[in-house]
Amino acid sequence: MGKKEKVRVQICVGTACFVQGGADLLLYNEFLDPAVLGGCEIEGVSCLGGCKEAEAKDRPPYVRIGEKVYGNVNQEMLCRLLAEATRA
Amino acid sequence: MNDLFIDVDYAQIYKDGQKIGGDVFLLSRNPEKDQIVCTLSDGLGSGVKANVLASLTARMAHKLSFSPMDLTRSARIIMNTLPVCKERKISYATFTIADLRMLPSDQVALNLVEYDNPPALAFQGGRSVQWDIEHIDLQRDGAFKKEVLGHSMLTLPIGSRLVIFSDGVTQAGMGKSLPLGWRLDGVREFTRNQIEANPDISSHDLAQAIVCRAHSLDRLSAKDDITCMVVYVRRPRRTLVVTGPPFTKEHDEQLVQKIKDFEGRKIVSGGTTAQIVSRIMQKPLKVDMSCWSAQVPPCSMMEGIDLVTEGMLTLSKVATALEQKKPVRSMTNDAVKKFIQVMQESDQVHFIVGTKINEAHQDPSIPVEIGIRRNLIGRLRRALEDVYLKETSQEYI
Repeated sequence: MGKKEKVRVQICVGTACFVQGGADLLLYNEFLDPAVLGGCEIEGVSCLGGCKEAEAKDRPPYVRIGEKVYGNVNQEMLCRLLAEATRA
Repeated sequence: MNDLFIDVDYAQIYKDGQKIGGDVFLLSRNPEKDQIVCTLSDGLGSGVKANVLASLTARMAHKLSFSPMDLTRSARIIMNTLPVCKERKISYATFTIADLRMLPSDQVALNLVEYDNPPALAFQGGRSVQWDIEHIDLQRDGAFKKEVLGHSMLTLPIGSRLVIFSDGVTQAGMGKSLPLGWRLDGVREFTRNQIEANPDISSHDLAQAIVCRAHSLDRLSAKDDITCMVVYVRRPRRTLVVTGPPFTKEHDEQLVQKIKDFEGRKIVSGGTTAQIVSRIMQKPLKVDMSCWSAQVPPCSMMEGIDLVTEGMLTLSKVATALEQKKPVRSMTNDAVKKFIQVMQESDQVHFIVGTKINEAHQDPSIPVEIGIRRNLIGRLRRALEDVYLKETSQEYI
């Protein structure tokens, strides 16, 4: 069985995201299941640009998982999204 | 901005049990004439009485050295003015005046006047420098002893240091660890070793090192006030702070060119700004997840830039910490601490402020402290200039 590729996760650490909940997401080491954590490669990113889109329906903080950008992410949601992504 | 910087600082420990010093240090800068005058005076006795004598002496010496008056006449005026000690029936305070002027030839002209303080030491790099001193006998009426002023004129090239101290330093350890105290040779040797071990040591650190050593020779209970001041002639350490994207996209290239051309340390503060710089310089931007706190987002790393931070939050925290003179030691290891460390290690700070408005910051639900970039830079510059005596400049793009 070939080694499973890790899921690439980018947490936005731009000002708007950081002050609206992004700071909580950076504590991922504390609230994520270690098994899920092992299957992801998590990094910070200066700005995903989501906050600047005029017609955005979501609000900061933004997180990119694989190719898809999610808005309004909180700790609970990140747990759920990453669990799904690593299972796939 | 000047291409030459005179770094002056001093350190002092009072005589054991005293709450006020009998050694007084004064420093004034006259920016128009590129002149700095520093004075060190040691008053007779210790405590309040000595402090009064030394303050009077230092203040007079200081003021008179800015006037065109002849040196011996100034010294006479000082000695005639000093009040007489009730117990000893004499009026007495020592002084050393160092008048430093920047010359156009990348050198500093030093006019040094010494009266009864231990002689000043000069160093060129790690080498001790000797020079001839002209001795002037004052022959003042009513003098209780022979009064001889030492006068010397020197030019200090880049890399030279001048170390001036009170007799609390040369006599440290007397009768305890050393029979005759540390003495001039001991201080010279110690200073030389310090400079050799750390050729770029700042005036602050060197003065601290000398004073601490003297204090430990006195077994941490100083017999006299221990004061040391250091003058260091060097190139200014420059730092560039870039914050905010340029008003129009066409200026992005110009901004990056300015960063590339700058000689010194470089800070980019702002996520979008960092992305612009990263795109044009074609260097990847990597967020350093090891350094952040709940107050400020993490720093990033990028080749060619010394520090990359988030913008408004970090700058606002930096401005507050600078205004409150918060000690770096007590801060958590985050972007604010790193930013302030760079500021403290710089002499001149240049700001390039991008004037584009960030739409994401116009949201009423985000904290008030994300103010207007320009106000924030104003606060930063005022704090750097007023509290830390740094030179600053700024431009908009």
